[in-house]
Amino acid sequence: MTTSTLDRIARAAGVRVIAALAARYRNLDIAEEAFAEACARAVKAWPERGEPADPVAWLYRTADRFVLDTIRRERTRERLKLEAPVCPPTAEDVMVEDEELIPDERLKLIFVCCHPALASEARVALTLRLVCGLSTAEIAQAFLVSEPTMAQRLVRAKRKIADAGVPFEIPGRDAWQERLDSVLTTLEVAYGSAHADAAGAGSHAGYAVEILDLTRVLTELLPEEPEGLALAALVRYAEARRPARLDELGAMVPVSEQEPSLWRRPLIEAAEYYLQRAAELHPSGPRSLQAAIHSAWCGRRSIADPPPWATVLKLYDALLNVRDDAIVRLNRAVAVAEVVSPRAALDEVEGLDRSSLASFAPYHAVRADLLARVGHVADARAAYDAVLALSPPPAERLWLERKRAALMK
Amino acid sequence: MQYALLIYQQESVLGSGPDSPALRAIVAKHMAFSRDLGAQRVGGSGLKPTSSATTVRTTGKSKVVHDGPFAETHEQLGGFYIIEAPDLDTAIAIAKNVPLTSDGAIEIRPLLGPTT
Repeated sequence: MTTSTLDRIARAAGVRVIAALAARYRNLDIAEEAFAEACARAVKAWPERGEPADPVAWLYRTADRFVLDTIRRERTRERLKLEAPVCPPTAEDVMVEDEELIPDERLKLIFVCCHPALASEARVALTLRLVCGLSTAEIAQAFLVSEPTMAQRLVRAKRKIADAGVPFEIPGRDAWQERLDSVLTTLEVAYGSAHADAAGAGSHAGYAVEILDLTRVLTELLPEEPEGLALAALVRYAEARRPARLDELGAMVPVSEQEPSLWRRPLIEAAEYYLQRAAELHPSGPRSLQAAIHSAWCGRRSIADPPPWATVLKLYDALLNVRDDAIVRLNRAVAVAEVVSPRAALDEVEGLDRSSLASFAPYHAVRADLLARVGHVADARAAYDAVLALSPPPAERLWLERKRAALMK
Repeated sequence: MQYALLIYQQESVLGSGPDSPALRAIVAKHMAFSRDLGAQRVGGSGLKPTSSATTVRTTGKSKVVHDGPFAETHEQLGGFYIIEAPDLDTAIAIAKNVPLTSDGAIEIRPLLGPTT
């Protein structure tokens, strides 16, 4: 057995083991610590005695035994704040070499990590750490903070969970919508930062794959939740287009100018499958509508096909009915410019609350483009300056600088 | 676990004096809410307005008595409940039902228990 075999097993199974332990002992720290200890023991034991028939079950039982030993050692409950497990392990638990004995508590873990009582950046970090299995160093890199800072943030989030009494339970019906939305928003934010950099060179891009996987898991655990299915579709459409997001000089390519033959068809087909299921359950959910907009674009087979602006505008109109915010209005304006006129689109954009959008780069980029198209060159240049001052990633910067340079003198 | 539910809203909406209709109405709602809580309610009380507040401020070695609440805020602490709840989700569900006269906020704070 090589260390990489264990790495692979630990990465794939870690979430299930940690989730099961955390739900059993209602303590995230001890679950993580026990799993790390089990991995450390595997490094020693497996080469000597050979890899067990079911490595995941071995890790689970070893970790579980570690927790029980720890509880036994710690006479005073004060120091560890551990509760005895809800149901103590039976003799069979120890005998059975079967992964099935590990209860699937991943959904509980997801709900805990995405609890609205946690700060939103802490939710994303905790989900990536515990549910996606990223290391603290990887998450720190993705969020452009130092590793000690991220470690501190994770510790604080886990302490809040323990101190405030966040339960390891699936939320009840009356809290369901709010809690599910918190989960979906957390995953959206996590994917959004993985997707933000068109070049995909940013350290964020690395975990886009984990988010794809996590949205799949979520749809398996909650097959009847249309918004969860729609989110799984959304991230697949976005990820499918990654190979076409850069031109040969490394500049960003907007979706309407991307070459569809470069898109990854299998991901689009998977997205279509999720969207279809979502739409059957609830066609006018906000995420279903957003996914439908992506679907309209991904229906193009060649750059020669007419762009689907009219369909896109209709979908944005429907989206506005269920989610009326400045970002939806801004995106809708891009379609208005094509279907109605740049002038009409600019009127819409100028009606938005400028102060709340001041640090939102797409706002300035859209505005700059519209100003240029109605002939207000000096204002357009100022708007390009505003977006460039927000230090966009290199691919976006290149594209924006090119657009700015193309303005008539 | 035990939680404190701290009730914040603009006290001006309650009118002035103990006979104001708004105050009478909210007190009746709290009585009903307390009845519904039953054994989950460990304690609690409404507070007289901040105009009745006195603050002792410690700075270094000096302790100075001030008129008024500890801080001037847009919304004021107007009362609190101590409840018994198995977890935060239950406390949140209870907090959502705490009566308010108008807009306001309920801060949920776990009590320091014997094991922490």
